[in-house]
Amino acid sequence: MIKGIIIVNNSGKPRLVKFYQNVFGEEKQQSVIRRVFQQVSTRPDSFCNYLEGSVPEWGEKCKLIYRHYATLYFVFAVDAQESDLGILDLIQVFVEALDKRFENVCELDLIFHSDKVHHILDEIVMGGMVLETNINAILQAISDQERMHKDSMKTKGPNESVDLISTKLGAGRNW
Amino acid sequence: MSGMHLSREFFELIKAIGESKSKQEEDRIIAREVVTLKKKLETGGAGGGGGLSMIPGSPVPSMGGNAGNQNGLNTNKKKAREFLVRVLYVEMLGHDGSFGYIKAVELAASQSITHKRTGYLLCSCCLSPDHEFRFMLVNQMQRDLISSNLLESCGALLAVTSLITPDLVGTVSTQVMGLLEHSAETVRKKAIIALHRLYQLNPDIVTKEEVVEKVRRMLCDRDPAVMGATLNVIEALARCDVAPFKDLVPSLVSILKQICERRLPSEYDYHRIPAPWMQMKIIRILSVVGKNDSQASEGMYEILREALRKAEEAGINASNAIVYECIRCITMIYPNAVLLDSAGASISRFLSSRSQNLRYLGIIGLASIVEKHPKYAADHQLAVIECLEDKDETLLRKTLDLLYRMTNPVNVEFITDRLLHFLRGSTDPYLKSDLTSKICTISERFAPNNAWYVSTITELFKIAGDLVDPDVATNLMSLIAEGTGNEDDDEEADMVLRKQSVELYVSLLASPPNRMSRVLVETLAWVLGEYGYLSSAMSLDAIIDSMCKLLHSGNNARLGGGATSTRRLVLSAIMKMVAQFGSCPQCAAKIIDDYTLSEDPDAQRRCLEFQAIITTAPQLLSEVFPVDASLEDVEVDVNMNFLDGIVSVAAANGARPYSKPDDDDDDDDYLSSQTATGSAFKMTPYEKPTERAYGQGAMAGLGSSSMGPSATTAGVALPPGQAPGVNSPTSALQQPQQTTSPGQPQLTIRNSGANVWGKKPTAQAAPPAPPVAASPSVNSFSSPSPAPPRPTYGGFGAQVQSTSSAPPPAKTAEQLEKERMAAALFGGIGASAPPPPVPPSQPVSTPQPRATVPQQQPLSVQSQAPQPTTSFAPAAPQPPAAPAPEIDLLGFDSSGVSEPAAISSSVDMLAPTPLIDEPTMNGSLSVPPVPAAEPEPPKVEAPAPPDDPFAAAGLLDGFGDSSLPTLSTTEALDSAKFEYSGSPIAPFTITTPQFGERWGSCPSTHSVTIASSTNVNSLSKFVSLCVRAGLHKVEEIAATNEGIAACMAGGGSSIALVHGKVSPLSGDASRLDITVKSSDANLGSQLAMYMQNMCR
Repeated sequence: MIKGIIIVNNSGKPRLVKFYQNVFGEEKQQSVIRRVFQQVSTRPDSFCNYLEGSVPEWGEKCKLIYRHYATLYFVFAVDAQESDLGILDLIQVFVEALDKRFENVCELDLIFHSDKVHHILDEIVMGGMVLETNINAILQAISDQERMHKDSMKTKGPNESVDLISTKLGAGRNW
Repeated sequence: MSGMHLSREFFELIKAIGESKSKQEEDRIIAREVVTLKKKLETGGAGGGGGLSMIPGSPVPSMGGNAGNQNGLNTNKKKAREFLVRVLYVEMLGHDGSFGYIKAVELAASQSITHKRTGYLLCSCCLSPDHEFRFMLVNQMQRDLISSNLLESCGALLAVTSLITPDLVGTVSTQVMGLLEHSAETVRKKAIIALHRLYQLNPDIVTKEEVVEKVRRMLCDRDPAVMGATLNVIEALARCDVAPFKDLVPSLVSILKQICERRLPSEYDYHRIPAPWMQMKIIRILSVVGKNDSQASEGMYEILREALRKAEEAGINASNAIVYECIRCITMIYPNAVLLDSAGASISRFLSSRSQNLRYLGIIGLASIVEKHPKYAADHQLAVIECLEDKDETLLRKTLDLLYRMTNPVNVEFITDRLLHFLRGSTDPYLKSDLTSKICTISERFAPNNAWYVSTITELFKIAGDLVDPDVATNLMSLIAEGTGNEDDDEEADMVLRKQSVELYVSLLASPPNRMSRVLVETLAWVLGEYGYLSSAMSLDAIIDSMCKLLHSGNNARLGGGATSTRRLVLSAIMKMVAQFGSCPQCAAKIIDDYTLSEDPDAQRRCLEFQAIITTAPQLLSEVFPVDASLEDVEVDVNMNFLDGIVSVAAANGARPYSKPDDDDDDDDYLSSQTATGSAFKMTPYEKPTERAYGQGAMAGLGSSSMGPSATTAGVALPPGQAPGVNSPTSALQQPQQTTSPGQPQLTIRNSGANVWGKKPTAQAAPPAPPVAASPSVNSFSSPSPAPPRPTYGGFGAQVQSTSSAPPPAKTAEQLEKERMAAALFGGIGASAPPPPVPPSQPVSTPQPRATVPQQQPLSVQSQAPQPTTSFAPAAPQPPAAPAPEIDLLGFDSSGVSEPAAISSSVDMLAPTPLIDEPTMNGSLSVPPVPAAEPEPPKVEAPAPPDDPFAAAGLLDGFGDSSLPTLSTTEALDSAKFEYSGSPIAPFTITTPQFGERWGSCPSTHSVTIASSTNVNSLSKFVSLCVRAGLHKVEEIAATNEGIAACMAGGGSSIALVHGKVSPLSGDASRLDITVKSSDANLGSQLAMYMQNMCR
């Protein structure tokens, strides 16, 4: 399974942290993030995208699979069950989904819309299992959700009416 | 669109954090933010208040309540969401955001799906496992799970996976199971994963049977996405218990087949590869199911071949992932020769790739295949060496793992050296303990000789003594004590070993005591205590002195980790040496004196007893501490007859006679209970192996007096043989023999280890080189008659004047080094295949390792034959200098011939990658071109002279007159030397006629053909290779491109003669035919193997 996903920028600031195998306690979580960043950041891009057995909180057989995009490292911590190259492609799918959703995703998007980023990730990985890899399906789920959502899209003019309608529909369906 | 609806505040915050220079500054900023957020919570709490009240109380918020707040809530909710995002951010940076959790719980009840999910999100990211809010959310989740809005169901399912704790599983399991039947695929696929999670959390409530049943049904879901998600769950379940999924093989195979045939809608394609993740998952499940199951495996061979073929065709990242999974699967399931070959081909493509990731996977693949099928390792020598030198530690680690798996008796020294080297520089505790146990394993299994084993293990003690299993030290000591343990009892060799060990440990005395690991100190104490007198580097009293210093400094420092038992051992060693020395030096007397006041009662007792002996009866010392008697059986007088006198006196005085227990078996029981109760009294040190060895050893007498509690009766010195407490020493003595005594098993295990690699040296001696005929240059050699063709050699001698052949293309030191490493590393692997009889003048190349199992490789055999004849038949007499194009071809050809690979791979690094796909595939399957050059081993016999008149003279001659091509360092030269039985061979200085004479009489013949070597592509290189290996160049015959060389081993007890013919091919490669004749079949085969490795 996937034990956790960490996005961290070039200076070590976390941008997204998700633990599937629970690491409880702020301190431990921070130490995981630090450790991951330390190890990943010292590796030139010419090295391979794998790192093994180096995060005690995740146990001995943990492997870090990461990709470095411009200012961000996308790090997936996995166990032996996951495919080495498959996860690399999965990271790519994740990034592509982000890019499509945010139209040229940048680091700030991940912070300002960290909830949305999480939602996208939730469509890809669930409870440490790969849920969906089809980028269209992922984006569809997100846009469905957003179409139903009422407030947040208001600033985008054309969508406003749709939002309102779907909100009402959604509310009607609810109770 | 970033931040359009988010406040400037938040933006400023992130900016400030991003620009902060220190953790302290960041903390201050966050603290400010926390204050701001708390304020917001209070002021904006109007909306929240309504939510708050509804959560613990009423299960369903009244519409009225919400509607009442409607106007204010809209803006509030938007703010509330940003509020949560900011709390999440604060939490992510490691600060406490718990003040905001309540808002998240509130938001989870929101009607807006985005708000709801944001609420759930914050809770699942931040709530501790026992947080009470989790209970508050259960109600909400239950409602959402059964919501008619599928997005709410999805949100709740996601929340279930992260918010439910084991004791809450029962509250949602029914709903989750119900959702498996939901009409929307997006719900079903989430439900199956959520169900698995619930099963993991609490298998009592969601039982395995239930999950398995559901999962099997979901596999057949009408929607591929659900099936894809289910595959993940199946793999996770099958890894724990494969049984329920065994019968799924046909279904999985058929699914995979359909995917491969593109029956899935194209939207499942990724970069035009049909559903790669599903393919990967299915293959992974197959590998789990097919493991150790030939029947299940057979069902998947075909589809694996198909999937692999299709994936290989595509050649992009996503398809490589499938290829890799195929490789792993093929190596895990019941082996199939054809598939293994395809996997081997894919591995070599990965290894020769420029992508670091693929090389990494190639190394893993190779490691997974090499243990059971070592022949594939030989194909990738240079690639492995390069990975070993890579700066990327991930790759390096995997390569070390690979090395460990491919260790054999020939390359064990090289590999162990590498592992030790890496261990020295490593700081990762996992890696260190892993490496340590690996080194122990391989050095025990494959040690070439005992001296090597001793020094290797000692080195390991030095580097990572704390991590070594104590048994290793026990084995080491019993090896030194027992020697080889062979029947013929070569006492002399044993003494040599002991002496070497002693010198080794004497040299360690100088190292700082607090840096020495406990096991090192203890072993050192034992070795020097037992055999210190053997040292010629240091006198015995000097050793005693050093040991005293060691103990003294150890008193204050933490000697060997500060264990009292370690000090006791050093103390006993000093006593033993004093006994050997004959008198007690001042320092020893002082130490012993000091220790009579020791807090450690054991040490104190020993010292008091020792003092008593040395002052009252010094003549007893040698009996109490017999020299080199650690192996002598201590006879235990169970009946204790020596007490008879005392008993009879006591009986005469009216003592009650001892009544024997009625059960005779009690004897044994008595013994064991004696040890058992003894151990209850004994303190820890006696459980230590070193202690045992020590107890069994020279200290037996004294040891007995302090060891068994019963021994106290004896006061000072019981006769060594009759000490009652001796039970434990004897049993300890037997133990190492039963277990792995490294001396003896080493030999047997070595053989078995050799078997793993196919027929080893002994077997290799068997296939006699074919009688060779029809070689123009070798006519005179062709008759295998025992008659020494002296004139022929004389004839060669006449031709020798012009030794100048084409000057060999200069090689860089680096290349040489790499080749040398490859030879060291892959020694024994190539050799596993005795070159089968090669019909002369036929271009069928015999790639050494692969040829062993020709029937397994129809592909390679087929493809190799035609190719060489056509392209390389016109063998150029002179090797052209820089043949660029061939290099690529040969470089990728990984089968058997390593030498071209050596050059090509070094070229590779600079040049753009040559076509990876096609040539690689071809190359790995085919075999390098071989011209119509014939092996021409002269089959002539000559008696091996046991007393060689030239033996002495040969030592120096070998080096002088040979032309050494660019040799990098003297190290390289030294280490290139061929070693037999642990010692380098000596040049055997003879003339060509003498060579001819002996040729016929050598009983063992080993022929080696290197189909294409760029490493040794000229006669002069061949000859200098021989010289480098330590042979004497007898003659270099430029006219026929032949060279002969000779060496002897074991101080002249055996000789080996080498004849080589170099046939230049086009390009700067050459075919090499080497024949090694030897009076000792082992020497011959090893030398042939060595030559082969050095030439490839």
